[in-house]
Amino acid sequence: MVKLYGFSGSTCTRLVALICKEKNVPYELTSVNLAKGEQKAASHTAIQPFGQVPYIDDDGFILYESRAIARYLSKKYPNQGTSLTPSDPKAEALFEQAASIETFNFSVIVAPIVGEKVFKPRRGLQPDEARVTELLASLQSKMDAYEVILSKQKYLAGDSVTLADLYHLPYGTAFYGLGGSFAEVFDSRPSLSRWWKDISSRPAWLAVKDGA
Amino acid sequence: MVLKIHGHAVAPLVRLVAEVCREKEVPYELVNVEVYKGEHKTPAFREFQPFGQVPYIDDDGFILYESRAICRYIAKKYASQGTPDLVPRDPKAEAIFEQAVSIETSNFYPFVLGITTEKIIKKHRGLEPNEARLSDLVNNLKAKLDVYDVILGKQEYLAGGSITLADLFHLPYGTIVFEELGYDLLEDRPNVARWWKDITARPSWLAVKAKA
Repeated sequence: MVKLYGFSGSTCTRLVALICKEKNVPYELTSVNLAKGEQKAASHTAIQPFGQVPYIDDDGFILYESRAIARYLSKKYPNQGTSLTPSDPKAEALFEQAASIETFNFSVIVAPIVGEKVFKPRRGLQPDEARVTELLASLQSKMDAYEVILSKQKYLAGDSVTLADLYHLPYGTAFYGLGGSFAEVFDSRPSLSRWWKDISSRPAWLAVKDGA
Repeated sequence: MVLKIHGHAVAPLVRLVAEVCREKEVPYELVNVEVYKGEHKTPAFREFQPFGQVPYIDDDGFILYESRAICRYIAKKYASQGTPDLVPRDPKAEAIFEQAVSIETSNFYPFVLGITTEKIIKKHRGLEPNEARLSDLVNNLKAKLDVYDVILGKQEYLAGGSITLADLFHLPYGTIVFEELGYDLLEDRPNVARWWKDITARPSWLAVKAKA
């Protein structure tokens, strides 16, 4: 059984839980209470030196960084659950392109927006609305590019779902849940909207979206 | 047909791709894109790279963008020549490599890119740096490099005893921040300093610095 050390509500912890569900890999969550700063305790940083969650213990093999964990589990169990990483060299290259798009053209903008509008209020802090406005503006042209890509193929790497699509779910869901002009970013673009509805209604995501 | 890299010789991520091509002894032709004249934002360019960014490659008609995806593709396609194991194949070594790649993405790149944006990119656009933001970025980078010093005190490279793409990914923006902008953040971090000296002395990188 994969031991997942993280926080039930954390975006990156839920990403790993999602992949476990997609791959039918059972896991056991050990809670690291972020509100109490348990991720900064010496016992945690001895294992995850950046003081972040999650990490896994897979029969003694320790791994951190949620996308690395996702890739490890996808490759370890190629023949069970959903196939999430292609093996054909060109398909794999296009998957890597899509995975990089997610990181550098989506998360880099959406994660700080979620930080300002969702996480800061939870800690009793005011969002920096000027920054949010700036970030939202820069997101528009990125989503225009997504619209072009997704009008030609079903998913970001081609016609099959891959990790690259699923990586969008935790921060994307928090972003979309803000409603108003945030949800509008997806809703106003038909192909992007179609793709968003598809991936966000996957049973594996519905099983973990409210807690890993 | 010789591999074509479409981009500009000064663009950091173009230089990254050139570096990896040299590591793998893959000849390439740099096809100049007039980024200072906005050529990368034109519809003709966006046919190939919908986000309007450099680089992209044309490998005998196969188009790929996102520099890290390109590097992975080259490293895997030419696995049996040049510097070996830039992407390890053993499953656990590969997982630790992915962890290291993700470390660079989350715990290094955002800060070095941010510093570069404030000090160089904004200047090109006639804007003043946001000093508060710059200070934040440098402080965050320092904290992250403290962790790098712990990791690199236990092993030679970020993913273990051999160099991988994870180390090389640090070269373009690390060079800008530590060398060109002169942020002396390595003096008090001997293991990071040792590692940085090693990877920046690689003949492939020196060749690209001279002429991409």
